[in-house]
Amino acid sequence: MSPLVAVQDVEKNFPLSGGGNYLALKGIDLEIRKGEFISLIGHSGCGKSTLLNMIAGLDLPSGGTVLLEGEAVKRPGPDKMVVFQNYSLLPWLTVRENIALAVDEVMPDLPRSEREQVVEDHITMVGLAHAADKPPLQLSGGMRQRVAIARALAIKPKLLLLDEPFGALDALTRGNLQEKLMQICNENELTAVMVTHDVDEAVLLSDRIVMLTNGPGSKIGGILEVDIPRPRQRLEVVHHPSYYSLRSEIIYFLNRQKRVKQWQAKPHKVLARHGLEKVNLDLGFIPLGACAPLAVAEAKGFFAKHGLDEVQLVRETSWRGITDGLLDRTLDAALMPSGMPTWMSAGGHGGDPTPIVTALTLSRNGNGITLANRLAEQGVRSVADYRDYLLRTNREPHTLGIVHPASMHNLLLRYWLASNAIDPDHDVHLQTLPPAQMLADLKDGSIDGYCVGDPWNRRAELEGHGFSMVGDLEIWSGHPGKVLGVREDWALAYPNTHIALTKALLEACRYCADPAHWDELTHLLSNRRYLGMKPELIRFGAGQGLGDERPADPHTLFFGPGVNRPSRSEHLWIITQLARWSEIPFPRNYVEILERVCAVGVYSTAARELGLEDVSYQRSGIELFDGVPFNPDDPIAYINALSIHKDYSVAEIPIGVPRALAN
Amino acid sequence: MTTTPSSGFSLAQWWKRNRKTILPPIFGIGGFLLCWQLSASLGLTKLSGPLSLWTEERTRELLLYPFFDRGGLDKGLFLHTMSSLSRVALGYALAAVVGIGVGIAVGLNNNLNRAFDPLFQFLRMVAPLAWVPIALVMFQQNQPAAIFVIFITSIWPILINTAEGVRQIPQDYRNVALVLQMSKQKFFTKILLPSALPYIFTGLRISIGLAWLAIIAAEIVMPGTPGIGFFIWDANQNGYVSDIVLGVIWIGAIGLILDRFMAWIQTRLAVGR
Repeated sequence: MSPLVAVQDVEKNFPLSGGGNYLALKGIDLEIRKGEFISLIGHSGCGKSTLLNMIAGLDLPSGGTVLLEGEAVKRPGPDKMVVFQNYSLLPWLTVRENIALAVDEVMPDLPRSEREQVVEDHITMVGLAHAADKPPLQLSGGMRQRVAIARALAIKPKLLLLDEPFGALDALTRGNLQEKLMQICNENELTAVMVTHDVDEAVLLSDRIVMLTNGPGSKIGGILEVDIPRPRQRLEVVHHPSYYSLRSEIIYFLNRQKRVKQWQAKPHKVLARHGLEKVNLDLGFIPLGACAPLAVAEAKGFFAKHGLDEVQLVRETSWRGITDGLLDRTLDAALMPSGMPTWMSAGGHGGDPTPIVTALTLSRNGNGITLANRLAEQGVRSVADYRDYLLRTNREPHTLGIVHPASMHNLLLRYWLASNAIDPDHDVHLQTLPPAQMLADLKDGSIDGYCVGDPWNRRAELEGHGFSMVGDLEIWSGHPGKVLGVREDWALAYPNTHIALTKALLEACRYCADPAHWDELTHLLSNRRYLGMKPELIRFGAGQGLGDERPADPHTLFFGPGVNRPSRSEHLWIITQLARWSEIPFPRNYVEILERVCAVGVYSTAARELGLEDVSYQRSGIELFDGVPFNPDDPIAYINALSIHKDYSVAEIPIGVPRALAN
Repeated sequence: MTTTPSSGFSLAQWWKRNRKTILPPIFGIGGFLLCWQLSASLGLTKLSGPLSLWTEERTRELLLYPFFDRGGLDKGLFLHTMSSLSRVALGYALAAVVGIGVGIAVGLNNNLNRAFDPLFQFLRMVAPLAWVPIALVMFQQNQPAAIFVIFITSIWPILINTAEGVRQIPQDYRNVALVLQMSKQKFFTKILLPSALPYIFTGLRISIGLAWLAIIAAEIVMPGTPGIGFFIWDANQNGYVSDIVLGVIWIGAIGLILDRFMAWIQTRLAVGR
């Protein structure tokens, strides 16, 4: 079926008063089906109202076309009626006269009595019969907006366009009107496009949410399908499993736009000093215990010691922020899950394969699987109990939280589940959530458990919401946790900076590994700049904080033989797992990818210059708790040997030739 | 004996409620008249005091009998006022029609506005009296010349305010017209006029005061026609100072009534906005 509205490659320029043009929108493509409710969301000035006006015909695109039922929209008309932000009622007419004006104008052929009936019907529909003879200025904002909606609907438009219709209303009125609008739209099978800046409103009302990036040259940054069934109730949609993920998706998008804007507002000159190509670096991290080396390098001056005078730590709330930051080059380097370099290099993020280089493994271990306490109350103690519990209650959704598809948490959790005959794609539902949100979701019951790094496992236990099902030491002791990642083109453009950064962080890792420093680390990380939580929640090993004499047993490994050197076989293991769960196709050119991802040379140079050659020692082979040996020479056979896997594909990943970033 | 506040009309309470609005003007005006009378009685100025309106017999007659008509120019003050007002009515009506019409045209068309705005701003600054010789040359007769002076003095506020009102029609209202695909004519009657009406009336209210100022000036300079301006001119020629005072009070009072009248219409129109 052809769409009702088709926006094709639309562009909009506004002439500036000082000469020149402001490019508001660029390359907008959007199709709207009949009966659909679409929201346009974005920051102020992103051109969402401009787009709406172009669909309405009040404004004409500078390039491209807007089609309504296959015909180009050249001028406004009653078939695409607009409900304006400030109601646009004529104050010298009563409510009835305002609506009648529109009806008389648009339906002059109807007999007078029928037109009057249409007006009365629509006044009744919005519940304003008692105020029909009042002028709009005697009505409240909500009532006026109801009049505007009644006027719009009375002329039976093919398309209803709403420009921030509830923006100026108080929360209670807004909620009521939203329900009213939803009901009217459902009953009349209306097609509607609404501009809004209210995330909850967008999720509640829409079938699809169109997110616009910041101007100039705003584009569609993403379109979200809202799969919440209709009819929807305002108070009930929040319990739908998709609600919060949609909501956080939009909020993430808007925050990302804000961050890019702030980043663009600052001048970004490459500062070269001390023989380094670039000393002003933006380093991304997310608040986790494993960010300790970055915090230490900043606080203890390791960055400055190695000539990196202007390193800025940028705190992101999710791993996705790290991915996007590297993709749009707002970040120079980042702390990332160990699966992310190969995942991004293979295009797992959904865009073009973007080669990412890692020269340093920053941490190992430090993760665990936590299940909600209510499962313990149902008798779940061991993995066998858990499997029985899942089978027993297989009609209920079982949701487990992971932080990112490419994180070790996802891979370890899936491996652990699969090895225990629980299919991670069928028996449970895995949901990506920011680490900081997991505990809240565990608390309110929207997830049953999660696999995440500390301090979140410890917090769940201390606060009485969950219990530790299994620690990562029991699944794969010494697995890579977080790594340092940079874009390949960045690494090639700034090779000495890359070495200096690796040196600074390697030295910081050594500092972090000393149990004598843990109390200091705990206090450092509890700072708002990093984790911003109570110090007693941040622990690096079993003995810490107990005050006894015995040497603390480290949980998270930051430094030591074989800890920090990037290992090709480990990254290959990660590739097998990402392919096993269809996060990426298995790359036929995996040898090339591994060569380019693992910057062993950078690591070796850094270690040698620090006098740490002894830590470059090669670790023994990889074998997880179930004892299936991993043979790096035959990764495909390994995947096939594992009991549960998806129908993965094998493909050549086009990652191009290594090329330095052009300055 | 006690009275409950809500039962019936109580003078004491009415006075209590309203004295703050009644007393100050009485004191203000009374004080002014007292000073005036004192300065006249003490011979500080040759201008007769307010009491002379009553003590001078001729003036008292004029005050008490505004309707007499002894033919020619010897009429009561009311009749003089009526002839002045009829001239004002003519000139002002003409100014309203032309001013609103041109104002709408200029408000709708930016090029027209650019072409004529400097001219309007220039002509607006010419004092009513300066128009009198031009008007006399143009029309050669007192009556049409006087009407022209009123017209040319009072048209500018109407014109400029109307143009502004049309320019200030909110884009929202224009959008409503666009979306409903209203005809030009419908737009004019249903949106443009009602929307610009408050501005037009502000112009009309300013202009009525100006028109009244202009007619007195015109009549004083163009003697020989009945009117309140002529009355003052005549009194001046004869040295009847108290008559002049009486004439001035009439002028002020009529001006006040005209202004209040326009204000009343304005508030009537503003109902429901």
